Amino acid sequence: MTCAFSPSGQSVACGGLDSMCSIFNLNSPTDRDGNLPLSRTLSGHKGYVSSCQYVPDEDTHLITASGDQTCVLWDITTGLRTSVFGGEFQSGHTADVLSVSINGSNSRMFVSGSCDSTARLWDTRVASRAVRTFHGHEGDVNTVKFFPDGNRFGTGSDDGTCRLFDIRTGHLLQEYSQPHGDNEEVPHVTSIAFSISGRLLFAGYTNGDCYVWDTLLAQVVLNLGTLQNSHNGRISCLGLSADGSALCTGSSDTNLKIWAFGGHRRVI
Amino acid sequence: MARVLMSILPGSSVKREDHDDDYSVDYSFAIEYSGPALSHDIPQVVPVDVRLIPTAAVAARAATVSNLSLPVIQPIVKKSDLGKSGNHGRVYSRKPEDFYHRDGAQSSSSSGTLGFSDGHCDSNQLSCSSDIEDLDDDNKACVSYNENNSNSKSSNLNQDVQDSADEVSNQINNRTSVVTFRDISDSTSEESEESHHDEHAMIPEKPMVLDDVKKGVCYKCRKRNRFGEKEVCIVCGAKYCRKCVIRAMGAMPEGRKCITCIGFGIDESRRGSLGKCSRMLKKLFTDDVVKQIMSFEVSCGVNQLPPHRICVNGKPLSIEELVVLQSCSNPPKKLKPGKYWYDKVAGFWGKDGEKPSQIISAQLAVGNQIRQEASNGNTNVMINSRVITTPEFWMLKLAGIDCEGSPHFWVTADGSYQLEGMNYVMGKLWEKKLLRLVCAALSLPFPSDATNPDGEDVDKERDKVNLKNLEQKMMNKLLLIGCDQSGTSTIYKQARILYKVPFSEDEKQDLKIMIQRNLYRYIGILLEARERFKEDHAIELRRRYINEPGPSDISNLVDENNIYSFSPRLEHFSSWLLQLMISGNLEAIFPAATRENSPLVEELWKDKGFQAIYKRRNELHTLPKVANYFLDRAAEISRVDYEPSEMDILYAEGIRSSNGVASMEFSFLKSSQAEYMESVDQNDTSVSYQLIRVHASSLGENLKWLEMFEDVDIVLFCVSLTDYDEYYEEINGKRTNKMSLSKKLFEGIVSHPTFSEKHFLLILNKFDLLEEKIEQAPLTQCDWFQDFNPVISRYPNNASNNSNPTLAQRAFHYVAVKFKRLFESITGRKLFVSRATGLEADSVDKALGYGKEILKWDYERNTFSMNEWSSESIEPSTSV
Repeated sequence: MTCAFSPSGQSVACGGLDSMCSIFNLNSPTDRDGNLPLSRTLSGHKGYVSSCQYVPDEDTHLITASGDQTCVLWDITTGLRTSVFGGEFQSGHTADVLSVSINGSNSRMFVSGSCDSTARLWDTRVASRAVRTFHGHEGDVNTVKFFPDGNRFGTGSDDGTCRLFDIRTGHLLQEYSQPHGDNEEVPHVTSIAFSISGRLLFAGYTNGDCYVWDTLLAQVVLNLGTLQNSHNGRISCLGLSADGSALCTGSSDTNLKIWAFGGHRRVI
Repeated sequence: MARVLMSILPGSSVKREDHDDDYSVDYSFAIEYSGPALSHDIPQVVPVDVRLIPTAAVAARAATVSNLSLPVIQPIVKKSDLGKSGNHGRVYSRKPEDFYHRDGAQSSSSSGTLGFSDGHCDSNQLSCSSDIEDLDDDNKACVSYNENNSNSKSSNLNQDVQDSADEVSNQINNRTSVVTFRDISDSTSEESEESHHDEHAMIPEKPMVLDDVKKGVCYKCRKRNRFGEKEVCIVCGAKYCRKCVIRAMGAMPEGRKCITCIGFGIDESRRGSLGKCSRMLKKLFTDDVVKQIMSFEVSCGVNQLPPHRICVNGKPLSIEELVVLQSCSNPPKKLKPGKYWYDKVAGFWGKDGEKPSQIISAQLAVGNQIRQEASNGNTNVMINSRVITTPEFWMLKLAGIDCEGSPHFWVTADGSYQLEGMNYVMGKLWEKKLLRLVCAALSLPFPSDATNPDGEDVDKERDKVNLKNLEQKMMNKLLLIGCDQSGTSTIYKQARILYKVPFSEDEKQDLKIMIQRNLYRYIGILLEARERFKEDHAIELRRRYINEPGPSDISNLVDENNIYSFSPRLEHFSSWLLQLMISGNLEAIFPAATRENSPLVEELWKDKGFQAIYKRRNELHTLPKVANYFLDRAAEISRVDYEPSEMDILYAEGIRSSNGVASMEFSFLKSSQAEYMESVDQNDTSVSYQLIRVHASSLGENLKWLEMFEDVDIVLFCVSLTDYDEYYEEINGKRTNKMSLSKKLFEGIVSHPTFSEKHFLLILNKFDLLEEKIEQAPLTQCDWFQDFNPVISRYPNNASNNSNPTLAQRAFHYVAVKFKRLFESITGRKLFVSRATGLEADSVDKALGYGKEILKWDYERNTFSMNEWSSESIEPSTSV
């Protein structure tokens, strides 16, 4: 369900319905079938692992979000949980946590989005309670992503909207939604990403649309879903390359597509 | 000047300049009107499109006029300065006899639309048009292929014309434009010839030879390196150097093909090199990647021999026939498209009009019956109703067979020959002395040792073929799903034991920890109850004390109280355990703390007070039924060196401590099949099944992740029959009937769009417990089952009779019908229901076997039409 590169690019973490987060070391030799051996499994979640992200600049720490309503900070070297966010504590999420995003400029802070239609901001030093809870969405918060400056974060939800929140004031800064008819089913937002500058917000939807929003004006700059050679199925994930030059979208039509400004290349 | 204009004009691009010869274009254009709307109509001049003028057909470059039987006007070489559109198409064709014609009627629809219909002269060759270089001013998809006649294959060609056009135009820019057109009237005459091809699904071909590229030059970077190794595209033959090969061929999903050639059939002359890559590729990629690409190349459907292009005894093959042909024990070597004859009786195989080239397996259901003149013989001697060729005649003579009077021989696959109409085997042909030598001398085939003489083997071969197909296709996935405590994990574990998929050491370790942890939980529940019992007891005693005041009672009270009291050490342990349970840290501590606590557990178990609580365990609803099984052996289990037995594993709650997805691959046992399946296929054991067990909670809220299981073949929905009077208590104290929860989950899954076409098998589990329970707790306790009022037999003692089902059986049928109706109201289809008891291996086997039957039945129904067809075609061959 989720995978992440370590900051050094030496290892990969992935998690899914097996409720475990598996770490693979890319430098280890492959076995006879050409598969990488598992270097470590982080087990302890009681629900599926929906999202994971390495703490920036640290190859040894990882934050996972899980269907057991908690987020966990792991120490990979020992394979043990450093802290558990939520769960038995009252200030945690009250439903499955679907996504985490760590602040790029202050790696102690991270946000999580959950099926309880809230996003919560956490401080890794204070596991007992969330720093702040962001209400507003009317459906499951499927994805959260920190804005490049680290003072804001974006969310994407089942209610079909993306929102931009300020972590310092807790205010909703902007809402990105397309008008829909009453009886029309609102496409869910499955995944979002910000451009390097933060001016653009890429959002993938379950109906195969992929809007490029102007973050400030909340206007659609482009819809990749209407372009030639766009995906046939729902967009399930999207991500920007590290230098921001290309966008990759993954879809349930089994294709990954890489989009770059001024053209696109298809990867099969 | 022209260049300046070109850059102003929209749609024009600079790159065109470098491949078009001259731009002596007279541009006359007006600025678009942007003023206020006009009140009157502007007289319009319909622009004359040059391409609308029925132009003469231009002959193919290599084709000479004599080659054509069609009335063709000699070429008019169109130059780009003929009109302002300057449009012309380029069609490169590998074979000169392939012609393309432009359909004038179609192209009249809009400017910039080129209509192409592909026809071909040679009935064997299926020709399709290739790249079109488009030089139109506004090159926004202005080229489209039109399906003019009934040719459906041209639709396959709607590939990215733009891409290929650009590429080709970069590669060949110094060639004069050559367009071959054909008259409309000719295409209709061709239709009758090609109509029989239309029934097949066509793989488009892409004949394209770029023969003007000099030797030793990379087709992409055009750098010359005569000795540098190059990789060749197996479709178009383009060669790429080391640097360009990845860019030109991409990820190679169909093997070594240019990106633009993907989806096209391969060049037949390169079939031999399938799966054999150059050293360069090996250097470029790691071994695994090369292996993977080569396996793609070999196995990819597009790269297979196009069956319709192989004609056996005058009949183009179907895919099934080709598979039969290629997978027989003695397949024809180096099979290439073409016309062949095949002697089904003896297995002779050769090209049409030639002597036999090989002896392949006999009795294959391939092609039509053999014709007399198949090998173009002139000897008047016939073998299996085919006039044999002169070399064969010599062979017979040298073998000492009397060929006087043009006899008709009947030769079977094992070489025994007899005169036609005579039931007397005159001898075995292949056992004749020196025949091997003679055959070699006359370059005639001699049967290989592996030839299967009798027809039964052929049947086996065919089964093997089917089996291969099935194996590729069939990895049936069964999704086992159910609410908490519905017994899915038990069924999963039972299946695991049943189908002999052993638990690994890790899993055993995990299970051990889980069992031990559960044991402490059970003890905790009992200890919790103790507190309550103790209090109740005290209250009761106090009441008694009040009722019957007396001095003797005080000592009595102490005694009575002692029943539930522990020694201080145990008391301490008990309070510690309870503390842990309340704080929820039981799981965090227990795997580690087992060691030091195991003696305590033993002591606790032996304690009289604890046994007193244990006796009252039936009053505790939170204690699961299986707890008895483990608590009875509490002392043993709590030991460090405890190894869970299969039974323990089966009884344990859950599969893994993480409660995630568990899956296992298995195949059904043969013996278990035979009992209730008459027509056991040979391939039963080879078809593998995957049982995926998912906990309802891991599907997320609102079944968010159900989509991840979109590829399962059947959903096994498990419901515990005892749920009807049990309640699930939420944290906020809200009680919900478990059966309603199951119903809700069932509704959610059944109505989920992902599973709209899936089969559902409802497994009603824990039938044994229902039998116990139904006597005490009526089924009507559940709201959903309000209208359950079975006719009670007047002779309850006879209830075990077959004619008189027990109450539990009635209840089962009632619940099944309830679910069936629910299912039908949602989907309008039939729900399959099976009864099971998780702890009984037989019933689990039966339930899963039923699921398998459903899948098989479905598969057979889908392939029914194919089966019908194949049984017809197989019939004559087996009857021979």
